[in-house]
Amino acid sequence: MSLGIAGMGWITPLGAGIDLVWDRLLRGEEAHAEKIAGQCDGQSYTVFRVPESVLASLAPHPRLRRVSLISRFAAAAGLEALANARVKLDLKIAGRTALIFAISNGGVIYTKRFYRDIIESGPQAASPLLFPETVFNAPASHLAAILGITGATYTLVGDGAVGLVAMRMAEEVMANVAIDYCLVVGAEEVDWLLCDAYRRWRLLRSEAPVEPFSEIAKGMILSEGAGAILLARGGPLKIESTHAGRYYRKRTDAETVLKQILSELIEAENDFVIASANGTFVDQAECRALSRLVPEALVYTVKPALGESVGAGGLWQIIVASQALRHEELPPLLHAPAETRLRIPTIRMSVRNARAAIVLSCGLNQQIAGLRLALDG
Amino acid sequence: MTRSTALNGKSGAARVAVVAAGIISPLGCGLAETLASLQAARDCITPVTRFSVDRCRCKTAGQVPDGRVVVERNGRRGQRLHRASHMMITALEEALTQDRQFEPDLTVVGTTSGGMSYGEDYYRALHRHDDLRRSPTWIANYPPQKAVIDAQEAFGISAPCEVIANACASGTNAIGHAFDCVRSGRYERVLAGGYDALSELVFVGFDSLQASTPEKCRPFDRHRTGMVLGEGAAILALENFEAARARDAAILAEIIGYGISTDNFHLTQPNPSGSGARQAMERALKSARLAADAVDYINAHGTATPLNDATEGKAIGQLFGRVPVSSTKSMMGHSLGAAGAVEAIVCLLALQHQFLPPNINFRAPDEDADLNIVANESQPASVRTVLSNSFGFGGTNASILIQQFKT
Repeated sequence: MSLGIAGMGWITPLGAGIDLVWDRLLRGEEAHAEKIAGQCDGQSYTVFRVPESVLASLAPHPRLRRVSLISRFAAAAGLEALANARVKLDLKIAGRTALIFAISNGGVIYTKRFYRDIIESGPQAASPLLFPETVFNAPASHLAAILGITGATYTLVGDGAVGLVAMRMAEEVMANVAIDYCLVVGAEEVDWLLCDAYRRWRLLRSEAPVEPFSEIAKGMILSEGAGAILLARGGPLKIESTHAGRYYRKRTDAETVLKQILSELIEAENDFVIASANGTFVDQAECRALSRLVPEALVYTVKPALGESVGAGGLWQIIVASQALRHEELPPLLHAPAETRLRIPTIRMSVRNARAAIVLSCGLNQQIAGLRLALDG
Repeated sequence: MTRSTALNGKSGAARVAVVAAGIISPLGCGLAETLASLQAARDCITPVTRFSVDRCRCKTAGQVPDGRVVVERNGRRGQRLHRASHMMITALEEALTQDRQFEPDLTVVGTTSGGMSYGEDYYRALHRHDDLRRSPTWIANYPPQKAVIDAQEAFGISAPCEVIANACASGTNAIGHAFDCVRSGRYERVLAGGYDALSELVFVGFDSLQASTPEKCRPFDRHRTGMVLGEGAAILALENFEAARARDAAILAEIIGYGISTDNFHLTQPNPSGSGARQAMERALKSARLAADAVDYINAHGTATPLNDATEGKAIGQLFGRVPVSSTKSMMGHSLGAAGAVEAIVCLLALQHQFLPPNINFRAPDEDADLNIVANESQPASVRTVLSNSFGFGGTNASILIQQFKT
């Protein structure tokens, strides 16, 4: 079975739209870091948010009137992917289209508000309007309703690797010949509560920038947005291999698992790798695995520019890999260490000789997955 | 990866066997206790003890007693695990005890809220400026995939995990997707199931929607007033039928069909026409190449909310006529992401022991639905093929068909 990428959609703290975000990445731009205040202990956190101007430009829809940000991001990315593929979901095509949604923290803003009301004022204050939006599959449900998808809709939950796990699941769903398209969407919204949780977990950095592959893990910056990929049967960008993924028991085991996955995905020496390094323990695990198994491959991570969007992160990586293959160049890797064992693009760099890209996602909560993407022919 | 690659390219749809199963729910710990509760039509709904429900309308739930959940293993690490992880470990242990050779290529599990109560502990402590020393444990053990990974780790399994959160349909979706994965030849062995542990946030959520009832849970009854929540975990080991036969594995039943549909009517309400539910059931029949009259029993989603039972009842009546129907949620509550998997095991037991599980608290039939309800007591019956339904928020509908296996 050969699946290809028919269309993509992207909404990020650096803007919305595949071409716009890609151009900005190529120019070496990074998202604007802003401070948000915690509401319990006066702590403040640095985040990358989708700018208000971008939010204001998103197309309205009756179904999106009271929904969480995450649902709005997902809808924007999903609709762009379809437009990008020039696919119009009429009744017949919608019936032959599946939707797979990747999510990690979900609608945290509404969930926090809902539970805060319970704590502060008791169960009788709980809002029946908020509760349905706290459910993990609410964004997928809104998107399915907007697109008219009546068949298979799945919401997958996991850590930062969930986007790639969703791609694997899409491949499994498309084993059914009754499905022509599968829209894979990853989305996340940022909130001070998430920042607080990751800070207590010692994974968060208090100030930008994100410094990838640093010997000392200084932490990540959370971000938000969505990525969407429309899979079809064939197309110029082919999903050559998806790895079902594995999990690591301890952080120190991540390198071994990454090596196992990487060794099953490596094909040619001129492949490049879109890694998931985000300033945490993940970076050194990836660095050691990559320098050992593909020492000549160019390695790029988009997280210094866009932040760690967890549930959306894997989809963003695939979009970057696709764009790099399509445009034959990689953006400069921002804030990389002066010395590293990896081959990194310190400036905009050609990947004209590359036939394929490997995408690796090492999540913070034990999951690791990967895939190989190639230009057809 | 090796095994699935080896299976790729096989022509035709593979048969899918259930070779082991494990369960923990308010009905009991393990298949034997579950069977006894079903046959005795035991009401396992009790007053909620895990958190205060003083100011809720509903005050009851199906709960797994603490003494049954806590697993004395993994030392100090085990003590940090969420209750949901312990339930998953318990269910998986039972399944693996039945088939010690079973090594999954993939694990697909449904849940709606993961380790939600740890999220509550963390936020409450933060909000009230309480002691947050345990917060790293709460945060690390809160994510939905954690319980699945913990259960696998407990038995040295390292299969990749797909964790589906399709609201109340999650468990059936997980089994259905696992079935598709084996049937297509991509995988030989898949663990599938679901879990959810009772949490305050979710309990109050359903209470705020007035979906849960302060009275008895009476699915399909004319005077039904809503659902009660439950909790539990259930695991089924699915295997390519030929592979299972080749290694002389005990075959408990076969999964023969799966249907999924998305009902775009409303985030929390089903389409009143019953079209979404009907579509899922029709697709399951089509996938099994089976006529509706071949179905001997339906384990309904049957939450006992006025809307769900009316639409599901309408769809069942239109498609299946007077086939026996029950909602076993009347006995144990609605365990959300676990429900589909728990009820698949109820169906498995019905097939193995040739009886119809009861729909308790049933007094009067609904005037709008002409259903053949298995009222209040289990009934001996010849049961060869059963259908299990799960419908969820977001309009996700899923149905699976399970068939008796005879040597």
